[in-house]
Amino acid sequence: MSEFKLHHLVGELLEILGSSSAPEKYVEELQKRCSRSSDLAISNVATQSCVRKLAKNAPDSDLFLQKYEELKSKNVDLLGPFMQLLDLISADKNLKDHLGKNALSTNLSNTKSSTITREDVPQICKNVIKAAVEGERKLNKQISMTDKRNDPPLVSQNWVVDRPRFSWDFPSDLSVTFCQKVVPAASQETILLWDILCCLKGMDGSYITSEPLANPYDVRSFVISQDVGTSYKQLAQQILPLASHYSMTVRFIEEKVLPEDGQVNHALRGALNCLLKDYLLFIVQLEAEHIRGKLNLQKLWFYIQPTMATMAILAHITSTICKASAKGGKVLSLLHEHMNDISGEAKSKELCLFLIRAASVPYMQTLEKWVYKGVISDPYQEFLVEDNELIQREELPMDYSADYWEKRYTVRHERIPVFLSEHAQTILRTGKYLNVIRQCGKTVQWGKQEPLEYQHRGQKYIAAIDRAYSEAARTLLEVLIHENDLMGRLRSVKNYFLLAQGDFVVQFMNLCEGELAKNMYDIVIHRLASLLELALRMSTADCDPYKDDLKPELLPHDLQFQMFRILSIQTQGEKDFCSQVDTALTGLEAFVFNYDVKWPVSLIINRKAIACYQMIFRHLFYCKHIERLLCRVWISNKIAKTFTCEAAMAYRQAFSLRQRMLDCIQHLEYYMMVEVIEPNWLTFLNKMSKVSNVDDVLSVHQDLLDNCLKECMLTDPVLLACITSLCAVCVEFCNFMQQMSRYYVDAELTSMIGSCQDDVGDCDSENDAESTLGAEEGSFEERITKLDTRFMEVLVRLLDRIRDLGREIDNEKLLNVLCRLDFNMFYTEMLSRQGMEKTTRQQDISG
Amino acid sequence: MPCEMITLQLGQCGNQIGFEFWKRLCAEHGINPEGILEDYATEGTDRKDVFFYQSDDEHYIPRAVLLDLEPRVIHTIMNSPYSKLYNPENIYLSKHGGGAGNNWASGYHQGEKLQEEIFDILDREADGSDSLEGFVLCHSIAGGTGSGMGSFMLESLADRFPKKLIETYSVFPNQDEISDVVVQPYNSLLTLKRLTQCADCVVVLDNTALNRIASDRLHIQNPSFTQINKLVSTIMSVSTTTLRYPSYMNNDLVGLIAPLIPTPRLHFLMTGYTPLTTDQEGASVRKTSVLDVMRRLLQPKNMMVSTALDRNAAHCYISILNIIQGEVDPTQVHKSLQRIRERKLAQFIPWGPASIQVALSRKSPYIQSTHRVSGLMLANHTNISSLFDRALQQYDKLRKREAFLEQFRKEKMFEDNLDELDHSRQVVEDLVKEYQAATRPDYLTWSPVKSE
Repeated sequence: MSEFKLHHLVGELLEILGSSSAPEKYVEELQKRCSRSSDLAISNVATQSCVRKLAKNAPDSDLFLQKYEELKSKNVDLLGPFMQLLDLISADKNLKDHLGKNALSTNLSNTKSSTITREDVPQICKNVIKAAVEGERKLNKQISMTDKRNDPPLVSQNWVVDRPRFSWDFPSDLSVTFCQKVVPAASQETILLWDILCCLKGMDGSYITSEPLANPYDVRSFVISQDVGTSYKQLAQQILPLASHYSMTVRFIEEKVLPEDGQVNHALRGALNCLLKDYLLFIVQLEAEHIRGKLNLQKLWFYIQPTMATMAILAHITSTICKASAKGGKVLSLLHEHMNDISGEAKSKELCLFLIRAASVPYMQTLEKWVYKGVISDPYQEFLVEDNELIQREELPMDYSADYWEKRYTVRHERIPVFLSEHAQTILRTGKYLNVIRQCGKTVQWGKQEPLEYQHRGQKYIAAIDRAYSEAARTLLEVLIHENDLMGRLRSVKNYFLLAQGDFVVQFMNLCEGELAKNMYDIVIHRLASLLELALRMSTADCDPYKDDLKPELLPHDLQFQMFRILSIQTQGEKDFCSQVDTALTGLEAFVFNYDVKWPVSLIINRKAIACYQMIFRHLFYCKHIERLLCRVWISNKIAKTFTCEAAMAYRQAFSLRQRMLDCIQHLEYYMMVEVIEPNWLTFLNKMSKVSNVDDVLSVHQDLLDNCLKECMLTDPVLLACITSLCAVCVEFCNFMQQMSRYYVDAELTSMIGSCQDDVGDCDSENDAESTLGAEEGSFEERITKLDTRFMEVLVRLLDRIRDLGREIDNEKLLNVLCRLDFNMFYTEMLSRQGMEKTTRQQDISG
Repeated sequence: MPCEMITLQLGQCGNQIGFEFWKRLCAEHGINPEGILEDYATEGTDRKDVFFYQSDDEHYIPRAVLLDLEPRVIHTIMNSPYSKLYNPENIYLSKHGGGAGNNWASGYHQGEKLQEEIFDILDREADGSDSLEGFVLCHSIAGGTGSGMGSFMLESLADRFPKKLIETYSVFPNQDEISDVVVQPYNSLLTLKRLTQCADCVVVLDNTALNRIASDRLHIQNPSFTQINKLVSTIMSVSTTTLRYPSYMNNDLVGLIAPLIPTPRLHFLMTGYTPLTTDQEGASVRKTSVLDVMRRLLQPKNMMVSTALDRNAAHCYISILNIIQGEVDPTQVHKSLQRIRERKLAQFIPWGPASIQVALSRKSPYIQSTHRVSGLMLANHTNISSLFDRALQQYDKLRKREAFLEQFRKEKMFEDNLDELDHSRQVVEDLVKEYQAATRPDYLTWSPVKSE
């Protein structure tokens, strides 16, 4: 289950419970535990004991057991886990109390309180989720079923329903009255034999008549006339179950004729028909024997013995299927399970095998088509893979690809035959890969297509599926990696989005900075596009064959907003930032690259992946921009080296602030690029050399992006907010310094004059500069001090946050930043000095 | 093509190191002595255009301007296999060819006279590049042309291109041997003033240390100029390697040097390189791990500057940049940094954050090296002031005796008085004081007037 789905479900659960706690906590806990105990199979034995325990505790244990048996006979999926859940609930006193309180408002199975002890949370959640999923699925099924019913059926005629007399299953004809024959007991046998033979063919006799059914799938019972002698009656009663078996089987055959019953049922029906033909032939032979006068009840009883066993099995199978109203995969599951149950008797087993073989033929053909061609021909929704054709590939290729992989083909769990359940994923992927391959205009070269046939013990068909899977996976990987140069694509994406192609980035920023400094609505995107192209041609990116797929784009929201929206964090902070949205962004904040990817590479580099790349890009790009701003300030400041020492001193505070900012930004960049992105990329390359199928590629690629996002400090809102405000202070400082640069020139000129003539000019120059500044907003020194304080505040916040996060287990890497930023313990000492000052001041006050 | 650098080679020494530098760059980029790309180098993703441009016939031509007042070194270059590499229009030899006679003032004034012609060349080169990042100047500070004309060029460049960077590779004279240039202290001091006021970044190459390294570390008894210059060219090429082999960071010069130089006047950088081997030395017995390289770089004996141990002042690093080449795992880098931090192998300034910045860089694929990892350190260390202190002392000795000043008085600048010398002395002395002040926590509010 995907993380988002889990998140969603837990959220819903909490909402139902009226709890206000954040779902993240529980999701994390759940995942941790699930990963630890995922292989903890829920065994049947446990279920039995749960049921026993529940029955013992239940106020009305008979009713409970009855209900349980009823559900069980219907083969309701996930009954076991549900029972276990109930057991857990009943075992936990706190929970029970809580549920009792909420019993009126909430459904039993959907309740969980925040007072549950920690140990129970995962298990309960898991079960609740399972139950919820199941419920949803059932609902869907029902809806789809009813939808189908409303459609005018293709061959809707069930003749037996329309013409009851067509039936071979005791057409109830009320006009035929019970015929009382007054025959002496000695002569009753012949008539009774005729009656029994009739019953065995599904017709009422004169002494023996069928009773109407209370439920459509009940065992048919018979009434034997009172007149019949006791000995005959007993023998007849021994024989009559065969008629009941026949009745059940015929009922199945007559019922499952509609198209929506599915091919599997039809195939099974065919096989049963075939068996029934033999059966009727046998009855006819008996009749012939009877006519010749060679049959009596004893003989009949003797003759029907083997048939009785066979028909019992048929009746059992058909009734189970009918009760569960199973079709498709489930029918096969039931047959398979039944076969496992009777594995002792060779003959019955053979019979079952015959049935399941026959019944599985259409299913296996569908399967064959799917695993060899990737085509689903499944008119009656029986096959385990479902095709949700959403949109045509030609439309919206980008969005399509992301959905394609996830949603186009899905496994319907209730349709998986038991014997295929372990291979469902393999089967799904095989066909999926084949589809992609076909859409790329390629075909898989099959050495040999082995027909798939059901086998009870043999693993031949599974081996064939595995072979098909590995072939499909290999071919698709080949198509992606070799023919479509996936790695080249990814490298190209990395070069642009992760700024690995440094010279291109420098070149691009040189060209576009002017344009990007504007408000984003004033930017002409075409101009950006042409500048981008120029930058691409003028840097080493020129060698990249995919450079033309890079496009500029402006997003109407800033990175922080984007991240928060994705993380959907309900913090006060988020709401604060949401309100900022209306402020127009500059091009620099809004700018991202976009990348055109063609099918089938777009499967891997899909919309979602591109969005992740874009987020990292914006972060890095903005940091790079700040670095460049600071460097520009450095360049315009370098003139200060000709100043007199006094003038230089005045500026030294500003220079030191600039140095701290640059130091900080460069260390952050170094950390993100060299310590995060590049090592993750190398790990990714390493993993990519080992992948065997496209799903692995997808997950490995997602890992790369997730790690980069997390380690680049984008996923922690506090950290991201710190960095954003750090950048804001830097921008303000740079703008201020650039404004001031004309005063430097003045100062330089006066200082040069001063150095040639006398030293009087110096003081003037500084006073000048300060007086002009003072007119605006505070003196130069004051402004710098103010910026300095703000910068230090944010930086300390950042360092604290990093320190906090670094204590967690999988974040040690973050501490590298701390170590580098505070390499000579400058900040530590400064903070401790400030702390000391504060305490001494407090002491002064108190003293 | 962003971030182009124009190289100026001045005087005998400047042209010699420049020559070695271009040789090395050609080898690293797979360009043959005639400027044509070797067949094996056509697929490269390196940036040749930072230092070269392509002529119409696809020749790679260095953005280099060769200037000298005497023909000897330039003739040697023109008779070498590399004669066709350079643009002949960029080679400027003084017409009379008499040289500057090791006289700073003469070099300065000849530069002044020739400025029209020289700036024609420079302007042409500057116009030929899309976004010129700056100039690289190679010279020595002791002779006549490199120091005198170099000083003039520094002043004019700073004046004409105020937004461009000026980086110099300045060779300081050998203190261990008696120089045949008697006015060397005057020359040095006058040049130092320009280096302080006009250059943005001075990479100090101390001949004393270079000779010592050649004899101690490379075991060459009497190192030749070529051998020394090879060392210098290594430093020059490695310090520009992140520009030429672009990666995530440090792709422009300013990003490289800005963090090294917090306050504009303290821009004299020391260098160190390890591991050093000669051509003859084959397989190395050394272990070159990242930690090993970084630790070695902090040892004074690997420094290309010989500094006297000054017991009075607690000298410290203002900043350090290590350019590490080779197969390097970032976690190793981090571990090494932590080790250095724990062991306190480097002392840093108390008035601001300072750390060892690391730039990881690719190596040229065309030059085989036996070392897995190699590293260059660019460091801003306050102890460099001892070098200037020494220059001041030598100057004072000479000045007290008013020795050898006649030659200077012949030139226009010193006709009336020797104020320029006094002023230069003041500038250098202030520089020394500022370096010393930078070792103290109150540097940010320090002023030489107050401290006296």
